[in-house]
Amino acid sequence: MALPLNEIEWAEPILPAAPDPQWEAELRRRGGRPFEVDRRIASSPWLREAAFAVTSYQPVALSERLVRIGSMVTAQENACRYCYGANRAYLKVLGYSEAFIQSVERDVQLAETDPRDLAFVEFCRSLARSRPRPSRSAREKLLRLGYSAPEVAEMAFLIAMGCFYNRVATLIACPPELKFERMANGPIGLLLGFVTPLLSKLRRKAPQGVPDGSAADAQWATGAFGPVLATLAGLPGARIMKAALDGAFASEVLGPRTKGLMFAVIARTLGCPHCEREARKLLAAEGLTGAEVDAALATLQTDRLPSDQSDLLSWSRDTVSYDTPSIQRKTRALAAQLGDAKLLEAIGTASLANATVRLAMLLE
Amino acid sequence: MTGLAWSLAALATLVALVFAVLWCRSARESQKLLLAADQKLEQLQRQFQRFVPEDVVERLTDSADVLVPERRHVTMLFADLRGFTALCDRLDPAVTVKILNDYFGHMQRAIVKHHGHVTEFVGDGLLALFGALEPNPWQARDAVLAALDMRSELASYNETLRAQGLPELRFGIGIHGGEVVAGVIGTAGLAKFSVTGDPINVASRIEGLTGRMQVDLLITDDIRRLIGDEFDLQPMPPSVVKGKAEPIQTYRVESAAKDRRRAEPVAGPS
Repeated sequence: MALPLNEIEWAEPILPAAPDPQWEAELRRRGGRPFEVDRRIASSPWLREAAFAVTSYQPVALSERLVRIGSMVTAQENACRYCYGANRAYLKVLGYSEAFIQSVERDVQLAETDPRDLAFVEFCRSLARSRPRPSRSAREKLLRLGYSAPEVAEMAFLIAMGCFYNRVATLIACPPELKFERMANGPIGLLLGFVTPLLSKLRRKAPQGVPDGSAADAQWATGAFGPVLATLAGLPGARIMKAALDGAFASEVLGPRTKGLMFAVIARTLGCPHCEREARKLLAAEGLTGAEVDAALATLQTDRLPSDQSDLLSWSRDTVSYDTPSIQRKTRALAAQLGDAKLLEAIGTASLANATVRLAMLLE
Repeated sequence: MTGLAWSLAALATLVALVFAVLWCRSARESQKLLLAADQKLEQLQRQFQRFVPEDVVERLTDSADVLVPERRHVTMLFADLRGFTALCDRLDPAVTVKILNDYFGHMQRAIVKHHGHVTEFVGDGLLALFGALEPNPWQARDAVLAALDMRSELASYNETLRAQGLPELRFGIGIHGGEVVAGVIGTAGLAKFSVTGDPINVASRIEGLTGRMQVDLLITDDIRRLIGDEFDLQPMPPSVVKGKAEPIQTYRVESAAKDRRRAEPVAGPS
């Protein structure tokens, strides 16, 4: 059962804030503002870009309303105190009433609620939880209810990347944005709740529609986890995932073997043969034999990784489904072995692998 | 417009206003009632979780997800306290229950940490399942790691008991795995999520062997094959158990091989 906000146990930060003034200036130039998470991941170029891409994503198929609701539900399901609090507060600023927010977070099935909305919330919870990962029939149900294929793909992408961001924030135990939460729940938030909907009505843009990017998208299918990226054909999410995956595997803070094995472990935990196959291809290119990968996956240990990374595989498996205090304790223990830079890279990699394998449900 | 028309218009507006206010109030009331009912349901769900694993509650209360009985590979861990019945006769009932509850708390912590769930407590024994609710490719390894943690938890709990002048506890654990039928088993009045099949009987017999062999933790050959060389194992003499024609080969689990490597002195230049 998803916990309410005030019942989520949250540890002291595992990684310290290490602000990068240049990156913060760049975020402001792009129209964003640095969050607590950004201050803790700024040292990893691929990770900070991926995190920015998630928070600044403009949907092209889904409505902004569903995106906002989906983000909160996903964060709630992942018991991420940081993201759940921030998304909840953001909904208040956007003018959603406390009663509406509570009905969503408590899963109250109001008679007047659109069955499409209910199915959407159910899909968010089910994919975020992934115990087990939703099957093909869950996707077909959404299509039957009238969602288009690009809408379902964008939903899966947003939930998957929500899981990515939730994990990054949870695994570093990022301090919640309490100032923003207080503002949203106070008189200023109330005022903004009146003004923001009016302003957005004036500026309202319909979802842009999915551009025909099939030709440009052909390139996605050739790289790492190409078949998964191909499910996002025509959506900006394909470019975001591609950049994150390429960036993660190009980064040298942890070796490609480590990352390939982490992806393989997470694929096996979630029972995804497609992603396990992709991870095995990467590992073969790194010189690991099939038998070596089999052995590593069977025991979650291998001598083909440096000794300081020996616990990374079992920790990766634990990032798939967890109870927040327990995964934060395990991550703190890992920090003692790896040091801050490698831990941050491991957190980014595990979070991205969780997103990729969840997204791969579109291949079923 | 005549005065009568004005009066009628004002009256109609007033009636409309009254209806609007009543409608709003009724909608608010309904909303409040729904939220209150949901809070009650949440509370009930939480209470229910004390008796049934959280995942089972989640799946039973989610209309879209029915726990359909299925055949699956599950690893079973039986744990039983040695000599506890005799101890019960000597201790105050309240102390007995407190010791038992604290002991179960320690054991459950170790089991949940390694992705298992306790499906039942019977007297001073417990049954934990690994891979029963969802596929778990590492279920045998998880069960053995859980058992090793249970050993450490018991050692730490015994220190507490010793400090309080209470008798220490000893347990026996048996682990075996195989294909079983998993589902909600029982009557409409009393049911539980559990497994049934021959492997569960074998697991129970293996736990029984720990007393006979004077060891605390035994696994079968099937489990040994699944866990590879990750643990230090000591082969035990094959034993005949009830319901099996052939003797069963078991192994005592000494420790995780990684722990042994850590404990070994590092050879190097002095």
